[in-house]
Amino acid sequence: MTSPTAVDSVLAVGGLRKTFGGTVALRGVDLQVGAGGVHALLGGNGSGKSTLIKCIAGVYTADAGEVRIGQHTIEAAHMTPHAARAAGLRFVHQDLGMFDDFSVAENIALGTRFPALGRVQVRWSGLHRQVRRLLDDYGIEARPQDMLGSLRGSQRTMVAIARALADQEDNEMILLLDEPTAALPEKESQELMHALRLRADRGQTIVLVDHRLGEVEQIADVATVLRDGQVSAEIDHDLRATKLAALVAEAELAEVRRPTTSPDRNAPPVLRATGLVAGGVRGVDVTVGPGEIVGLAGLAGAGRSTILRALFGQHPVQDGRIELDGRPYRPSSPRDAVACGVAYVPEERLTEGLFADLSVRENIAVTTLAGYWRWLRMDRRAEQRDAKEVVARQTVRTASVDTPIGQLSGGNQQKVMLGRWMRRNPRLMLLDEPTQGVDVRARSEIYASIRSLSASGSGVVVASTDFDELLALCDRILVLADGVVAHDLDAATTARDELVAAVMRTPSDLSPTEHP
Amino acid sequence: MTTQAPEASRTETTPAATASATRRSGSLAAIERLALPALLVLVVLFFTVYPASREIYATSANVSVVLGNQSVVLLVAVAILFPLVAGHFDFSAGATAIFASVVAAAGMARFDLPVVVACLLALIAGVLIGTVNGLVVSRFRMNAFVSTLGMATLLGGLIQWYTGGLAIVGISQSMTDFGSASWLGLPRVVYVVAVVLIASWYVLTHTPYGRSLYALGSNERAAVLVGIPRPRYTLIAFVTASVLASIAGIIVVARTGGANADNGMSLLFPALTAAFLGTTGFQPGRFNVLGTVVGVLFVAASVSGLTLSGAHDWVDQVFNGLALLIAVGLSSYLRRRREGATS
Repeated sequence: MTSPTAVDSVLAVGGLRKTFGGTVALRGVDLQVGAGGVHALLGGNGSGKSTLIKCIAGVYTADAGEVRIGQHTIEAAHMTPHAARAAGLRFVHQDLGMFDDFSVAENIALGTRFPALGRVQVRWSGLHRQVRRLLDDYGIEARPQDMLGSLRGSQRTMVAIARALADQEDNEMILLLDEPTAALPEKESQELMHALRLRADRGQTIVLVDHRLGEVEQIADVATVLRDGQVSAEIDHDLRATKLAALVAEAELAEVRRPTTSPDRNAPPVLRATGLVAGGVRGVDVTVGPGEIVGLAGLAGAGRSTILRALFGQHPVQDGRIELDGRPYRPSSPRDAVACGVAYVPEERLTEGLFADLSVRENIAVTTLAGYWRWLRMDRRAEQRDAKEVVARQTVRTASVDTPIGQLSGGNQQKVMLGRWMRRNPRLMLLDEPTQGVDVRARSEIYASIRSLSASGSGVVVASTDFDELLALCDRILVLADGVVAHDLDAATTARDELVAAVMRTPSDLSPTEHP
Repeated sequence: MTTQAPEASRTETTPAATASATRRSGSLAAIERLALPALLVLVVLFFTVYPASREIYATSANVSVVLGNQSVVLLVAVAILFPLVAGHFDFSAGATAIFASVVAAAGMARFDLPVVVACLLALIAGVLIGTVNGLVVSRFRMNAFVSTLGMATLLGGLIQWYTGGLAIVGISQSMTDFGSASWLGLPRVVYVVAVVLIASWYVLTHTPYGRSLYALGSNERAAVLVGIPRPRYTLIAFVTASVLASIAGIIVVARTGGANADNGMSLLFPALTAAFLGTTGFQPGRFNVLGTVVGVLFVAASVSGLTLSGAHDWVDQVFNGLALLIAVGLSSYLRRRREGATS
């Protein structure tokens, strides 16, 4: 570890400890961040990196330790959001805290301050001039009066960063980013990483919490790996994604490529959809054989999610023929689809998946409630037993099955979301971004359980913006563009570059929307 | 080997650490679960020994009066529990109870209908009101907060129109006999209420339907995506609420020998207070029947004690208002904590 006397560190954390109830989250963390450059903070679920950031931000009150920012040393126990800001720390969280239906200028002014004419009246011309300068400085291609919602995801994040740093004079602030690319498609996270690297080259100090190791490899100068609330490694040269992954998982990663257990192509398919028309999807053929995992790739708006929703009875199907196990299948509601043996894990875990205030047990039991009604009562013991089984099989890290699921980390929540359907042994499993915001360790565990489901003969459809995920998990990948299948690729023989090119070359993000 | 050493020690220490944490938070959780009933016991003890109220407070006569009066509030409180669990307010339950009482009383006093027919009509009125409430929320996706407030106002107006603001009296003798009779020292209506309470508890906790309502209340979109039929279940919740409120109305007729022209708000607010107070006990953070019962008793025991101690009329309202504010605040705090939104 670097010596604590390193003079050029602008942010130093020493002996930071934090416990929640009886659980130790941070057991004495030391961290040195040098001036100018990108310092990546890595670690698995529950490794403590979020807790660390929140302690530095003063959102959580640490038990012991100190934080030094420049020349100021603050007891970590006395850190407050206000003190952190006053000391020159700027945070951009995953939830950017911005409003899509406000203009860029308004969003920036809300975070900083509206320049006022007199006491109340907003001086719009001054604000727009100020914001235009800021946008130029950060290379954001937008006008102050553009609605924030009309910007691409990466540009929105850049606006949030510009807003956070709006009042610095000469890169003296320290920018801390918490998983800025978690919700961005590959192309845009590339853009964002590029922009961050530019800022760092101009002398900005950036601390980056990230799950995507490829990005870290690309732009970080230094990486600190946390494990079980302690710093387990620090690397300042030769940052390789594979090496980082090994440090994070600290176990050999599950083989990146799927073991080629080629499914029986001659067996009658589980799902055969022909000429599927629904919303923006204009005539798509999808066939999924038993034991086959089919990926859906494509840019935003290409129709990935719509196809899954249509197959689950959650989006009206306008035309086309769908067969499930050879029988006509046209679900009118999710309930219908569930009854036919179809399962769906939506992309939006928080708003469409979790019952956050209900226990892990209840979140699991909810897919088979009627099955627990025995002798005119709910069989709690059976629920308990099944929930424990799911927790064990999916390696969910939770204090007990009675813990409210909202208190679990994202990866563990996602394992429950999968596990509650796996239990029903669905014929067809539909997954939308199954590992979004999930760390490496949980990710390989989720892959393993998806594979075990397909090995039992079920069909699986995975929609994802993560190319590595599609290549690692799928047998075939359908590349969608403008609501039709542009390519049908065999994952085993497709190189990553080919897949990227197939998705990117499709002109969907440029083509104007046609009028019916 | 070096990578395995921490792995092994972790698997040994973590369960132990978790277990002790669970034990500690277990006793804390037990205190939290039982705080509300403990508070009830304290209030009862206080007024039993407090000089100004002790002579009457703990007598069986007072207990009987309080329980008899509260049985109606209790029914309304349990009635609104069904939509509340599913994530919707029902502000019309109080007005529905009064409306049902007017239907029953008028049926007997003005149309000379048999008791059973009059009561049946009151229940049918409840089913209709609940169906309208339910359809408006489940099919037309209106906000229940507004739509049930509208229903309450509408019913209040109809009651005013029909009664002209006067009480309806002259109901059949057998009805008032039932209302004033006691059984084992308690008013007979208390037993009716007890049966409804147990049935409601059973439905909410021991049937797939009840559990689905909790899922709907927790996250409606997620509930639909696991196959819960949202429109139908929501409709049933509102119909249940209105039918239970109608039973409350029939009990009002039996106990008071008629129906008063009232808008029902004096029933609704204590019921709301009790339902929200109930979320602080037994199953913190969620609406439950047992907690609601203790909530009603807590408010009743406090108000009765205050009244017997010679407090003014307004104290009742101030107490109810404060209790509602505190209950709603605690309730949403507990829920947020369960969701992991607070540190």
